[in-house]
Amino acid sequence: MSEYYRDTAHLYEIYDYFLKRVLTDEKIGQKMMKAGIIIKFIYTDPDAEIVIDLKNPPKDAGLYGSYYLGPCDLKEDVWSKQSADHSHRFWHGIENPIAAVAKGKVTQGGKVTAMLKLLPVVKPAFRLFPVILEEMGYDNLIVKK
Amino acid sequence: MKGNTGKIIEVNLSSADIAITDVPEEYYLKYTGGSGLAAKIFWERADFTADPLSPEAMLIFMNGPFAGLKMSGTSRNSVAGRSPLTGLYGDSSCGGFFAPELRYAGYDGILITGRADTPVMLLIEDDAVSLADAAGYWGKGVIEVTGSIKEKYGDKYRTLVIGPAGESLVSFANIMHESHHAFGRAGFGAVMGSKNLKAIVTKASGKDMDLADEQKYEELRKAINPRIKNALMSEVLREYGTSGALEGHVYNGDVPIKNWTSNFSEEMAEALTGSTLAENYATGSSTCAYCSIACKKNVEVKDGPFAVPKGAGPEYETIVAFGCLMDSKDLAAACKAGRLCNDFGMDTISAGATIAWAMEAFECGDLTVADTGGVVLEWADMDTVVHTVLPAIARREGKIGKLLSRGSFSAAKKTGGNSLQYTAHSKGLEVPMHDPRGGGHGKALAYAVSPRGGCHVSNTMHFIESGACYYPEIGFDYDLEPMTEKDKAEVAVVAFELGNIENSACFCQFADRQLTIPDWVGLFNAVAGYGWDAQDMLKAGRRAFYLKRLLNYRYGATADDDSLTPRMLEPARDGEPEGIVMNFDAMKEKFYSLIGFDTIRGIPERDVLCQYDMHEEADIVW
Repeated sequence: MSEYYRDTAHLYEIYDYFLKRVLTDEKIGQKMMKAGIIIKFIYTDPDAEIVIDLKNPPKDAGLYGSYYLGPCDLKEDVWSKQSADHSHRFWHGIENPIAAVAKGKVTQGGKVTAMLKLLPVVKPAFRLFPVILEEMGYDNLIVKK
Repeated sequence: MKGNTGKIIEVNLSSADIAITDVPEEYYLKYTGGSGLAAKIFWERADFTADPLSPEAMLIFMNGPFAGLKMSGTSRNSVAGRSPLTGLYGDSSCGGFFAPELRYAGYDGILITGRADTPVMLLIEDDAVSLADAAGYWGKGVIEVTGSIKEKYGDKYRTLVIGPAGESLVSFANIMHESHHAFGRAGFGAVMGSKNLKAIVTKASGKDMDLADEQKYEELRKAINPRIKNALMSEVLREYGTSGALEGHVYNGDVPIKNWTSNFSEEMAEALTGSTLAENYATGSSTCAYCSIACKKNVEVKDGPFAVPKGAGPEYETIVAFGCLMDSKDLAAACKAGRLCNDFGMDTISAGATIAWAMEAFECGDLTVADTGGVVLEWADMDTVVHTVLPAIARREGKIGKLLSRGSFSAAKKTGGNSLQYTAHSKGLEVPMHDPRGGGHGKALAYAVSPRGGCHVSNTMHFIESGACYYPEIGFDYDLEPMTEKDKAEVAVVAFELGNIENSACFCQFADRQLTIPDWVGLFNAVAGYGWDAQDMLKAGRRAFYLKRLLNYRYGATADDDSLTPRMLEPARDGEPEGIVMNFDAMKEKFYSLIGFDTIRGIPERDVLCQYDMHEEADIVW
């Protein structure tokens, strides 16, 4: 039972808003685009899939990449599987990604090294995540450190 | 004896006597091998009044019980003795191919004393152990001499060679293996130089090993090798080299910049990280014996002032020391500096840290051109570093060469003014290129209490604090916040036990992150028949740590020496750790209490030593 998400639709609602913000961010989005990879995030509890395409030209103007909520036909270069709650805390900057892999909380495959290069790039987004939750009226989902 | 051979080569260079002697089996059971066993032999045999560079000084090379196994990460060995840089007991380890070859030749180690009248090299070919003239190699660089030896004897002869820095007795001269693996720290190249020993060369005719339980070992090998190969850390190291995580480290505030005055530079992170090295200069990878990680990047810098022919590239420590620490974003210059240090036979950490200190001293006015013989030192002036300063240090030429060849602590003491304040060392050993203020406060504690001085490989704190390893099998399952002191003293106790086990086993820290505690115990028992359980193993690790502390006590070190410099303890000025105050004293106090140290002497209390079966040692120090 997820601590933060009612169901898959709820998760997609929040990540839709968040990813749009991140991928339009002048600094974060531009740097993410340089990675040139397609990443699939697989979530459990609730089950969901999000694909971020940083390889092909963005489908929407103003974004530095594209994202797809739910299964899509794009073949990922790298995938990462974790619980939705773990991801929620990760985007608050309170989950150590190295420890998460070491302890098996996150499993990965494909060009993992390319995805790891994104870690420092997305770090500024940790400050953004609680902000968007507040903007969406989900103050109750903000994780206090 | 199983796994180990139980034999070492003893060489007195003054008399040219060579003997093969047996090491008591009890030593192995109590001190494992590698750095622990070297410490035990040193404890029993060394002349504690001997200057590190005198003929009486003892230099010990020691394998661990796993040397020669066809397993990733097991090809390291240790060198130990009294450090000319710190004046204390020290050790240093090196990967590559020497340890397996020495094992196959029939030996666990080499013990060297005396001083040859003229330059010699030690040649080990199975039972035939001899000294050969090395006068023709004296004065020449490591790369040329290594090539010449291989040309004369054969490519499979494994070499340990010192360069001009060792010959000139530079305090942080190192010993180079195959011209690019290094016994980097604590200055043992100078000890070899003081003995007129230019090289040690070995070749075995076979690869036989006598293991306690071949079948069990084979089961373990088949389980462990793929785990090491496929680990995330291994993938990063394989693709980008040891600087693969440099960019992430900068964002965490773990990388010291501009002589520890800054903890963040976005441009520097991008310019110097492993992927940049891989994209711009890498020509391939190389590895140690039987290791699937292949963390070493070969490089070529085709043109420019820092052109470097194809060959071994710089490691993380070298790139930070000759990049971030000097406020330089020039990766080609770091490649060049690394190659030069290898050829001169100098530790890149101490060399880079000492030069960065000198740059700040020059900026502050504590050093002037009158002190440097006219050399102007400025931040990021890598042309001067590469073409003037490094060659001067290596041959101790000119005022600047003589001053900096003793390391930053000694140079600062001579320079005076405020310059000791901005050194970054513990016990005289320049600390490695991880800043505890951002990388983790536990690392500050670990640097301070490490027996050889500021060190992140004498213990496993660096990896534990980053989250890369945990050991639920022994109840060790902390979720650590790097930038606090919470739980760090408790973690340090286990980190030093495990660190001493891995250094005594001579297992690579990158590879053995994938080993569980049952794996460790299983390997010791299957290979060497130690008959241990987990507690026996951890006790052996603790015992080795204690013995190294006792050795330093006999050289005059006390609790006061478990310290860091003011620069390392002041709050960071920028980046992730900006403004955070470190509670170092509280961590140290708690650690002392948990590990059983006397708060004045800095060594275990008598009853604690006795609990670890160290009664004889206790009688000497208490």
